[in-house]
Amino acid sequence: MKGLFRIGTLGSRIYTVFIVFIFGTIFIMQIVSFQFTVTTVRNSMIASNRTLLSQLTRQIDSYIEDMENLSLAIIEESGSQDVLRSEYAVSLNDHRALIQEQIGRYLKARDDILNIYFTDLSGTIFSADAAVQINPWSDVTESPWFVSALENPDRTIISGSYVQNLIVGEYSWVTSLSRGILSSDTEEPLGVLLVDLKFDSIQELCQSMVTGRRGYNFILDENGDYVYHPTQQLVYSGVKDEPVQQLLEIAQQDEQNMFTDGQHYYFVNTSSMTGWHVVSVLFRDDMITDWTYVQITYAAIGLILFLIVGLATNRITRGITSPVKRLQGIMKSVDTGDFHLVGQIDATDEIRELAHDYDIMVTRIRELMVENVKEQELKRKSDLKALQAQINPHFLYNTLDSIIWMGEMRQHKEVVLMTSALSKLMRISISKGRELISVRDEIDHVRSYLTIEEMRYRNKYDSHIDIDPGIGDEHILKITLQPLVENAIYHGIKEVDHKGLIEITGRREAKVLIFTVSDNGRGMSPETVEKLNTLREEPDDEADRASGQGMGVRNVHARIRLYFGESYGLHCESTPGVGTTITVRIPSSEAIR
Amino acid sequence: MKNWLVLLLSLMAALVLFFFLTIFYQQTVPNHIKLDQPIQFVMKSSEVVPMEFWGIAERGIQEAAKEYGVTVELSGPRFEKEIDQQIIILEEVIEQRPPLIVLVAADYVRLVDSVKKAESYGIPVVTFDSGIDSSIPVSFIATDNIAAGEKAGREMLRLLEGRERQKIAIVSHIREAATAIDREKGVRQAIDATQIIGTWYCDVEEDKAYEITLGLLDDPTLGGIVALNEVASLGAARAVADRQLQDTIQVVAFDNAVRELTFLEAGVIDATVVQRPYNMGYMAVKIAVDYLSGKPVPEFHDTGSVLITRENMFQREYQELLYPFRNSP
Repeated sequence: MKGLFRIGTLGSRIYTVFIVFIFGTIFIMQIVSFQFTVTTVRNSMIASNRTLLSQLTRQIDSYIEDMENLSLAIIEESGSQDVLRSEYAVSLNDHRALIQEQIGRYLKARDDILNIYFTDLSGTIFSADAAVQINPWSDVTESPWFVSALENPDRTIISGSYVQNLIVGEYSWVTSLSRGILSSDTEEPLGVLLVDLKFDSIQELCQSMVTGRRGYNFILDENGDYVYHPTQQLVYSGVKDEPVQQLLEIAQQDEQNMFTDGQHYYFVNTSSMTGWHVVSVLFRDDMITDWTYVQITYAAIGLILFLIVGLATNRITRGITSPVKRLQGIMKSVDTGDFHLVGQIDATDEIRELAHDYDIMVTRIRELMVENVKEQELKRKSDLKALQAQINPHFLYNTLDSIIWMGEMRQHKEVVLMTSALSKLMRISISKGRELISVRDEIDHVRSYLTIEEMRYRNKYDSHIDIDPGIGDEHILKITLQPLVENAIYHGIKEVDHKGLIEITGRREAKVLIFTVSDNGRGMSPETVEKLNTLREEPDDEADRASGQGMGVRNVHARIRLYFGESYGLHCESTPGVGTTITVRIPSSEAIR
Repeated sequence: MKNWLVLLLSLMAALVLFFFLTIFYQQTVPNHIKLDQPIQFVMKSSEVVPMEFWGIAERGIQEAAKEYGVTVELSGPRFEKEIDQQIIILEEVIEQRPPLIVLVAADYVRLVDSVKKAESYGIPVVTFDSGIDSSIPVSFIATDNIAAGEKAGREMLRLLEGRERQKIAIVSHIREAATAIDREKGVRQAIDATQIIGTWYCDVEEDKAYEITLGLLDDPTLGGIVALNEVASLGAARAVADRQLQDTIQVVAFDNAVRELTFLEAGVIDATVVQRPYNMGYMAVKIAVDYLSGKPVPEFHDTGSVLITRENMFQREYQELLYPFRNSP
């Protein structure tokens, strides 16, 4: 898991992309749809509020219309014209009972009518309800309903709401309909009919048809004066303020009958019957009452989406990274030199193919490695053979040369001796193709060689061989000592005037066999010794090979190391004018075992 | 990634989402205070019949409560003079640990201890209509009664101009209530002390005011009576009407009971100083809510008073003040 969050890993990239982009997308989506929900709800609220408002207006209209029809009917039926036309003083008493009975029917039938009055032109009031006492201080001739009704005798005058004070001790809120009563003959006005409607009906309508907890309706007349407002006192005392001017302006337009000041939505509908502007106020925060619920719902949907995406991301990422990681783990074995196969893994096709190709590669590498080992072995053997082969012609040529020379001198005895020594030498050299021979045989080989060389360089040197008899059965690489002796003769003793001495020793030290070949010849400069000791490591150095110096020595060294390993080989010590000692170290049979 | 980490991350993302939506919501909608408990109103009389004033004030309270989205609970003694009863009720209300108490003090002095107790519990107190002798209440919402009394006094002087009888009597409702004290003070500010023959107390009983006034009317120099509340006004007006002295005696009243208005129409009462109980109740809630929302509130809010005479009593702007809509559903 830790690894997944390292920048640059496959997992971290996938997670980054998924979380940033998909979570971001969900986020934006949720916010946008939340916004959309809000807008939708708001719009539908606005629409329903509009409907409600026009319904309210229609109801008010139809209510007023009803009342207008009623007032017309009253004028027709009640015989009020007759009453008013005749001498008032007479008719009042004659007809009072009759008219009161007739109009009283309407009063009883309609709860919402407070009272019905007649007045004559002088302002004398005649109430339909006989029981009430007319307020002596009220003056109807100045009342707007009276004046307007007489000015417009063919129309029903609808007043706004006001307090009616026509009856003593009673102050009721009314909306009144007034109509001039015309003489049926002369069309002259005779008086005014006043129908007082309890304002409660309209108030109730306005209060019942509201949207939201705090929404309310109010009514303005054509001039922008309040007909009804649920909190009139606040409005009149300036605590509350309604945008009356704006409302009147938008009431003129047909389409756009709504405006908002941010917190409130105002809807206006103008009643054709009364000319009133019915205003509905909707509070913005009433539109969705349970905001927290909506928020929680959206957050919960978000959570579910986040979870689905998150878990899916997990699955996908694991599907990609875990086989890759497994693959990676297996491939890591290459570091340590092991080549493991991946084999069958549970992963996508791509990964499986990758694993398959990797397996093919590893198999191939394994084959190549095996081949390589074989080739190395082969090469080593052929190198060894080649090195051994290098000895023979050189020496053979010299020896045969000597034999020929002795033959010509008719020294038959020497020829026989030399030839038999050579024959022995050859036999050991070949030794049935084995590479290892016994120390005893190797010493015989050196002796044969010394025999030959002594005959060639008569009295030039003495040789002394001191081999621990206990190591006679140990094995040594064949032709190990002879080239060293050869080197001592050709590069040591041959160059000095005094009689030379070649000493050959052999002993066992711990698990190592140590042989030395020393001479008292010319010796070598420290540079040459140094060169010989270091160059031994690189037996194929061309420059050195050309000089011929130490070529045999290096051959031996190379062969020992090829055969026994790097920790064995030769070491050369020499003092110019004193002599040279070359030490050979090879493992004893105990060490090999 | 472990599954629990996905869960954690998703939860975090969802929370952030909720947070974002909340921010959006906050931008859309003004924050309303949420109260676990209703704001407690301790009134001074729960009987609406003798004093329509409180019925209208309550409508203002309810309207504001609806508008500001808070609940209110009203309690109080039946009658204004039951001061002990109001103290008991206030103590009970304090025990409920409401977020705020709105108090209409029936006594200027005796409720101070209880208000101190409320303060010690950390319950803010707002007074309205009649305050107490303490600086503890965070706000006082009332008619500026001194100004109202002065208005009444000046009107009385105007009415008495050019008349023969110049002496003025004051009929007050109760001795120790702040409203009575302030109104009288206001009247006396407007009128020269030599012109005032005295102040009489009717103890919020109409009949007592009636008797007092009948006694006063025997004084041949008396030209005007200033009655300082509804009950006193009705008693005084009734006495003047019964003696048929409406043309001789000028009555300046307080408040707007229906019967007072009839007297006003009939010319018995010549002017009345009307308070705005609806606004008072409304503002009491508004200021209480403002205070609870941490907004600054004024120490004193004057809801104002209006002088009503026969001439302006049917003007549109005063109609609802004088003749309130009946309580409708």
